[in-house]
Amino acid sequence: MLLEVQNLKKTYGNRTVVDIPSLQINQGETVGLVGNNGAGKTTLFRMILDLIRPTEGRVLSNGEDVSKSDQWKSYTGSFIDEAFVIEYLTPEEYFDFIGQINHLSRATIQERLNKFKDVFHDEILNRGKYIRDLSKGNKNKVGIAGAMLINPQLLILDEPFANLDPSTQIRLKNLIRESRAQDVTMFISSHDLNHVTEVCDRIVILEKGLVVKDLATNQDTLKELESYFSA
Amino acid sequence: MFKIFLDHQWKEFWRGRNKAGSLAAKIFMMIIYIYFLLIALGVGFFMKGFLKEIFPAAQPVAIFNGLVLYYFLVDFLLRVQLQELPTMSVQPYLTLNIRKKTIINFLNGKTLLNFFNLMPLIIFLPFCFTEIASVHGTPAMLGYIVSILSLTVFNNFLLVYVKRKATGNIMLIAIGVLVVLILGALDYFGVISISDFSNLAFRSITKQPALALIFTAAAAVIYSINYKYLYNNLYTEEMVKKEAEKTATDYPFLNRFGEVGQLAALELKLILRHKRSKSAIMMSFAFVLYGFFFYRAELLNNNQFSLMLFAAIFMTGIFQIAYGQYMFAWQSAHFDGLMANKINFKNFIKAKFLLFTIAATLVTMLTFLYGFMSWKLIVLHFVVFLYNIGFGAVIVLFFANYNKKRLDLSKGGAFNWQGVGATQWIMSIPLIVIPFLIYMPFGMANEPFWGLTAIGLFGLVTLSLREMWVNLLTKLFAKQRYKIAEGFRE
Repeated sequence: MLLEVQNLKKTYGNRTVVDIPSLQINQGETVGLVGNNGAGKTTLFRMILDLIRPTEGRVLSNGEDVSKSDQWKSYTGSFIDEAFVIEYLTPEEYFDFIGQINHLSRATIQERLNKFKDVFHDEILNRGKYIRDLSKGNKNKVGIAGAMLINPQLLILDEPFANLDPSTQIRLKNLIRESRAQDVTMFISSHDLNHVTEVCDRIVILEKGLVVKDLATNQDTLKELESYFSA
Repeated sequence: MFKIFLDHQWKEFWRGRNKAGSLAAKIFMMIIYIYFLLIALGVGFFMKGFLKEIFPAAQPVAIFNGLVLYYFLVDFLLRVQLQELPTMSVQPYLTLNIRKKTIINFLNGKTLLNFFNLMPLIIFLPFCFTEIASVHGTPAMLGYIVSILSLTVFNNFLLVYVKRKATGNIMLIAIGVLVVLILGALDYFGVISISDFSNLAFRSITKQPALALIFTAAAAVIYSINYKYLYNNLYTEEMVKKEAEKTATDYPFLNRFGEVGQLAALELKLILRHKRSKSAIMMSFAFVLYGFFFYRAELLNNNQFSLMLFAAIFMTGIFQIAYGQYMFAWQSAHFDGLMANKINFKNFIKAKFLLFTIAATLVTMLTFLYGFMSWKLIVLHFVVFLYNIGFGAVIVLFFANYNKKRLDLSKGGAFNWQGVGATQWIMSIPLIVIPFLIYMPFGMANEPFWGLTAIGLFGLVTLSLREMWVNLLTKLFAKQRYKIAEGFRE
């Protein structure tokens, strides 16, 4: 088991935004997280990444409490929102920075970025722009590539498909499938039910902070999700 | 409409993240303002007595005439340093059905609600009502009042214009200040006489009160320049500019410090690639001139360092004060990303120390030029430098852990005046007071050099304990970071 959530609770005042007694994600699983706005998806992700202190409970990554040890950072790649990229750097500098703090050589960085050639579509590298001057979709691409650059064992992406053009969405799905083949554990949220059912082995539905469904994906899953959300 | 704007601003203040902090700052400033206003009130009502006391031979009205323009010149210099521009993020209002004119007039009108606009009225108007009215009659009095009101408004909008422009162009402020300083110097050396000019102007107004309207016209002109500038710049400014090609940069010097160096390099890029931080740094260099105001031959000859300590701390520690105030907050836009990445908190804190040390060393080396005035100043600057990098940096980083207010660097310079002005200096009070306290007993015992030695030793000892400070600050940071991150996410 790579990721384990135990009695996790986050309350603001008397409003509970996340309340998950138990959630376990195994090595190599690709898990989709769906839920309407305000369901607590991002808060859950932030607690997994130790950016928000849980009111109760804890998150274990490889058996270690994420708030007690930094170990998880060396194998976890994540992209939640623009706050994850450093906007005043050029994309090249940003990838270099991520590479440096993870002790990757320039050559390795180059090689790993090759994988993103299609996704970048010549709009990211060598454009002579700071990240802040890129469009929202392109910023997302930089963030996602930054998260995947360290060849993480655990990859956490919050709505990676948002703001991406159709071709890039398809290419990103291919990248995710590739990572799945390499046994990377992934936890991905999305509002697009099609995308998650396509790439994930398992779907977790969050509603008002609670896990209301936890399904293994099969050919009926999309229908089930659609009927759940239209109800 | 203005009522709605005011209401929104009121809410913005009371619902803000750092309410306690900014409230405390406001109250502190309020007390200072009241103190000065009371002094001004005293000066205003007893102006005649004062003038008679200081210049027994001259006519009070003549002296008063000579003083007015002087006052406004100094007033402008003070405003440059202390007057804050009102902040309002206009973005959400621009697309609504609100006339641009209304927004601009609000932004401009609000600048008038300022301490600096009240001061001249309190100082000068009582004298006009009593003395001028009784000596030269009511029309002359009206002329004076119109002049003083107009000059106040003129200064206000000139400052506002200069500051607005200067967020993009620091040179302009430098030039403005330089012009005023040159005028002052020319007056001091007797090449021109501002007081004669002032006297002439007000004597003419006494004869022909309508001439006061010239000042009014000047105020109107500067207002309309402001108006036009805002009108043209209410668009997001980036739309006009053609961006230059950006290239990747590397700082080989910093690489030798490993991860600490990489983090410092990252921050150096942050400083150099944002207007806001760049102008904070440029201002720091301007402060290197402070010594010329404080260092005087008699102080140096008598070894009265306590009076010069302030300038020395300020000059050598200005980077820490000006930039360090917003430590962490500069990085608020990507704070989450830094935290989720594999960055050791200890290295993160160490990088800040490294940055402080480099900056303080550079500035201190620059201030060694004061050595031409006296070798004592080199000693003074050196011990204060030790204090700054030894303990000053610790204080700044300690307070930084309690600053949870997001600093939005992504917004263009023109409407982003958050934290520019007097309030930002409050955090630096302990930084400045401590060396005074160390020095004082020695100063009173008439052992000034032992006092300096004590400051230097204190600096050295605290510097040698840096590892301990780093550990303490890392612990504090590890605890505070959730709150900091939450504040920055706003």
